[in-house]
Amino acid sequence: MPDSGRLPAAPDQAVIRLQERLTTRYQARISGALVRPATPAAWLDLPPELAPGLAAALIARGVPRLYAHQREAFDLARAGRHLVVATPTASGKTLCYNLPVLDAVLRDGRKALYLFPTKALAQDQVAELTELGRALTAAGGTGIRAYTFDGDTPGDARKAVRTRGDLVLSNPDMLHQAILPHHTKWAQFFEGLAFVVVDELHSYRGVFGSHVANVFRRLRRICRFYGVSPTFIFTSATIANPAELAQRLCGEPVAAITRSGAPQGERSLLLWNPPVINPDLGIRASARSQTTRIARMAVKSGLKTIVFARSRLMVEVITKYLKDVFDKDPRRPPRVLAYRGGYLPSDRRAAEQALRAGRVDLVVSTSALELGVDIGALDVAILNGYPGTIAATWQRLGRAGRRLRPSLGVLVATSDPLDQYLVRHPEFFFDASPEHARIHPDQLLILLEHVRCAAFELPFRDGDQFGAEDLPEMLSYLRDEGVLQRQGDQWFWVADSYPANAVSLRSVAEGNFVVIDTTGGAATIIAEVDWSSAPGTIYVGAIYMIQSQPYQVERLDWPGRKAFVTRTRADYYTDAIDYTRLKILDRFEGRASGAGAAPGGVVAQGEVHLVRRYPGYKKIRYYSHDNIGYGNIDLPDQELHTTAVWWQAQPAALEALLPDRQQAIEGFLGAAYALHHVAALRSMAELHDLGRAVGDGQGTWFAVTGNDGRGHLRGPDNALVEETAVARFEPTLFLYDNYPGGVGLSAPLYDAAETLVRDARELVAGCGCSGGCPACVGPVLPGDAERAITPRAATLRVLGLLEGSCATDAAADHGV
Amino acid sequence: MGFEERLRRIRGQAPDPTPAAPAADRPALAERLRRVGVGRTADRIPVGMPDEGALANALGAESLAPGVLRLERRLSNDRRYGRVLPAGMTAWGELPWGEAGQNGGGGLEARAAGAWLCLDTETSGLAGGTGTWAFLTGLLRADGGEWLLRQYLLTRLDAEPVYLDLIAAELTRTAALLTYNGRAFDAPLLATRFRLAGRADPLDDLPHLDLLGPTRRAFARRWPDCRLVTAESRLLGFQRSGDLPGAAAPAAWLGWLRRGETAQLAAVLRHNRDDLLSLAGLLPALAGVYRDPAAHGADCRLVAAAWQRRDPACALRILAANRQDLDASGLHDLARLYRRAGDWVQASGIWEALAARGDANARAALARYCEHHRGDLTRALLLTQSLPAGPERERRQARLRIKLDRERPAGQIELAIEPYSTGT
Repeated sequence: MPDSGRLPAAPDQAVIRLQERLTTRYQARISGALVRPATPAAWLDLPPELAPGLAAALIARGVPRLYAHQREAFDLARAGRHLVVATPTASGKTLCYNLPVLDAVLRDGRKALYLFPTKALAQDQVAELTELGRALTAAGGTGIRAYTFDGDTPGDARKAVRTRGDLVLSNPDMLHQAILPHHTKWAQFFEGLAFVVVDELHSYRGVFGSHVANVFRRLRRICRFYGVSPTFIFTSATIANPAELAQRLCGEPVAAITRSGAPQGERSLLLWNPPVINPDLGIRASARSQTTRIARMAVKSGLKTIVFARSRLMVEVITKYLKDVFDKDPRRPPRVLAYRGGYLPSDRRAAEQALRAGRVDLVVSTSALELGVDIGALDVAILNGYPGTIAATWQRLGRAGRRLRPSLGVLVATSDPLDQYLVRHPEFFFDASPEHARIHPDQLLILLEHVRCAAFELPFRDGDQFGAEDLPEMLSYLRDEGVLQRQGDQWFWVADSYPANAVSLRSVAEGNFVVIDTTGGAATIIAEVDWSSAPGTIYVGAIYMIQSQPYQVERLDWPGRKAFVTRTRADYYTDAIDYTRLKILDRFEGRASGAGAAPGGVVAQGEVHLVRRYPGYKKIRYYSHDNIGYGNIDLPDQELHTTAVWWQAQPAALEALLPDRQQAIEGFLGAAYALHHVAALRSMAELHDLGRAVGDGQGTWFAVTGNDGRGHLRGPDNALVEETAVARFEPTLFLYDNYPGGVGLSAPLYDAAETLVRDARELVAGCGCSGGCPACVGPVLPGDAERAITPRAATLRVLGLLEGSCATDAAADHGV
Repeated sequence: MGFEERLRRIRGQAPDPTPAAPAADRPALAERLRRVGVGRTADRIPVGMPDEGALANALGAESLAPGVLRLERRLSNDRRYGRVLPAGMTAWGELPWGEAGQNGGGGLEARAAGAWLCLDTETSGLAGGTGTWAFLTGLLRADGGEWLLRQYLLTRLDAEPVYLDLIAAELTRTAALLTYNGRAFDAPLLATRFRLAGRADPLDDLPHLDLLGPTRRAFARRWPDCRLVTAESRLLGFQRSGDLPGAAAPAAWLGWLRRGETAQLAAVLRHNRDDLLSLAGLLPALAGVYRDPAAHGADCRLVAAAWQRRDPACALRILAANRQDLDASGLHDLARLYRRAGDWVQASGIWEALAARGDANARAALARYCEHHRGDLTRALLLTQSLPAGPERERRQARLRIKLDRERPAGQIELAIEPYSTGT
């Protein structure tokens, strides 16, 4: 049936019809289809005795009653209980905090601090609050003064913000560097502070969350000084542990509200895997081609559609392809719009306006529209690639779905292992969230930096508490460093410095590298590279990619933390060879690995010392992936003292299962690859937050993939070691926390070890390739697929052994 | 497993400690930090014992309380300071600072005749924030026929509340403050210290004259910078010898706290005293500058502008005396003052000269003058026509035409209007 010439049906019908057409026409590509039935609204009345004018203002704004969760939040907040609201996108979360805050402001002249992870979100909120304020004045009440306070706030306006703001909207970095170290200037504000609102709680995880938990320890210390103890209100996307995370962040019990009273139309989600076009190499059609196809169909059906892409470049590419279809006539207003960071704020505001007014049929965006920017609701959300977390996936999908109308989401998988894994596991999206956001506020280095900042802000007294480490010991350390003096029972700051400026909330140790483009004599900073990933990415000769534009590193200033690059047209990319040696320093705990009947190994966690050497790099041609040369890397060894979880196979069981040690090594390397990916998924971490290694626990040898693409053993001096020469062959698979001292990533992995091994085995077993591919066990060599035991099969045996199941199971070998 | 035990085990395996490494009884924390690779192998700072008695002797100061020293000196007020005699504080009356904002509100004149207090602090750093201390507060006031210098020095950190109370007591006997950059630096810092100590800020409602503003006004375009040392050498002819730069003050105090060093602190006190005396000398010197800016190489136009509200005659006198050096905006200021004084001849003379050089503002002023005072509507129209195009010009032209029409009998031939010519 032709698409054109037909009037678009009412959206309700059109959404259902589109979904039917997609499922019938592309059945083979849809690996999962799930439907959440519509839920009706659960209403409650506005609270009695609201501050004068507030009820009238709400009614004037079209809010004569509240959703159940909004009322619940109000009641908890008014009772002074810390709370977290973790309900879906567009369920009216902002009113959950605005209502109790405005009530306290209007009734008692109290004040509130709002924290958003980004500046743009704070500015959106001010706009919303200003409108509420107008409604209040119109209703005869007093207005409210809400100001943003960020790096852009001009110096002469700051005093007004400090002394006159009822609500100050800022971000954790400003709190850390500008507000707390100058708290006396904010004395008036602190004395009235009743609420601290923390939006987007789920983004406070890992290193950033660990820092912010300490910033909140400092905040609460300052609040005690001014005699207040504000109530924390958090809002979060759906994660597995919102209350636990909030509690860890603010240091006190937090009540969780997870049931939404907002109505929701029927929601469908299709998990879409592009068809395999080369089974040997496991190559699938591009996600982009599928995304544009689905988007075309949606728009032609008259549905308002949003496409999310993972990079700014991909946004531009998809926008161009779709504009070529829908915006051919330049005289007509555009139907397709791109939206991403990097556009001017005024352009973004205009785009938001066009979206809200429904003048645009399709918007292509990065994560910039995932957060609370108001663009009205759409009908269809298409995700070009898994956004990295389930929580972010739901936030993006939540952009589709007008009140009570059906909506459709499509997640189009790329060929990344995580995408491939998730697209085959719909339960991740529809069962309770599997994602635990973890923080580790007592990480030694992070904690010490914040003890330093806190000591600057107010002297510590003997008997004070700050974090779980021994505070007097830390204070003594700082005294010996010369920044503190102890007199009487107090520890005073006595250094000529401003410690908060030296602490970035986004990293553990200072010293990110900047990448400087010197093309044509210019010197433009184009990227920042984490200290720990610098040696493997910006060595001299490396091809460094930004939005698929290749740059070549010409010079690396290691002490100055700078890499100088120029644009290039190289037809190859570079891949650093790294030898990681890892020694177990201390084993905290261990147990038999796997829940199966035949435990074939052990899993343990503890402290490890890691030495990484980068002897050189490979040049690899695009498309053919031929190795076309080598270069040397001249860098000092990188050392890391951190925590890790590791698995060891019982030598006898391994021998029985994989007598060929070469194959056993490949099996372990493949298992490490798969485990690394699923572990990142479970811990809401980025891939580079974790590292992997295979070796023996004593540090006598380590397995690396050599230049020939095969796994090899190397000794501590990097000399090749023959597999057969190793007396006690006990391969150990490590996943380690890739931050100095560890940021608490490995302990949860140990707790979830069985799940991880199972996930990893499913990832490999369910892959569409034959002998192994980058979507499951990592790159394999041509011809591997024909071997009797392919890398994939070896991996499955190793994982089966670690899982404790019968690993010679034929199904496991052949991946179904 | 206990922390200590873990540590011992790891130590046995860890690489040999470097010679600079701490002793074996080093706290565990430092060892752990060293292991994760960021522990500063900071040289353990040698700890001397601060000896307050010795410090008091070295400085010639008295101990007011444990941790607070006071150095008090009486200085003859007929002693020259550089070129000037830091004559009393009455010179305030010869300055134009009536401007709002400069003096922290009104009441200055009423209260200023008596108890002026020069204030200058030395701090533990310039970074600001709650971790910065004002460890030395120097105060200088006229007392009888003499100068009374009092410097309060904090020698123990836990004595700060007592130290602040003593300063607050001094300030209650004060009518107004005189500082150099005190509005931006000393006053907020002291406010923070008082706040941290849980005390009201005694500076809060004191009138406060910060001489940095007037100095900048007069000299920002004439001097490379307006630091106090620059001002004192240029205006007072005072050259310090062996001065400890202000930036070295933090290290001097930290040297005392950490190692009991006294020598540098004495230099800080001398530096602070010089600052206070310069401040006291600067007031009459600036009064002289503001009476006769040209004689001091000051910016006549900006100085005159400072006088405009309080003493327009003085502003007029300054500009008129320096007329030959004024630029166009200075000449406009002068013409405006003549106009306000009713001296239209002088005012229009300036406008004519400026208009002849093509100055549109002068033509506009002349046009208004011709229209409203001379009744010369024709010339007013000619002048108006030569103004830059815009709604303002159109409006005026229309108004002038209407007036001209009213004056002329109907039917009279309209003058051919030529563009205003600058040629004579």
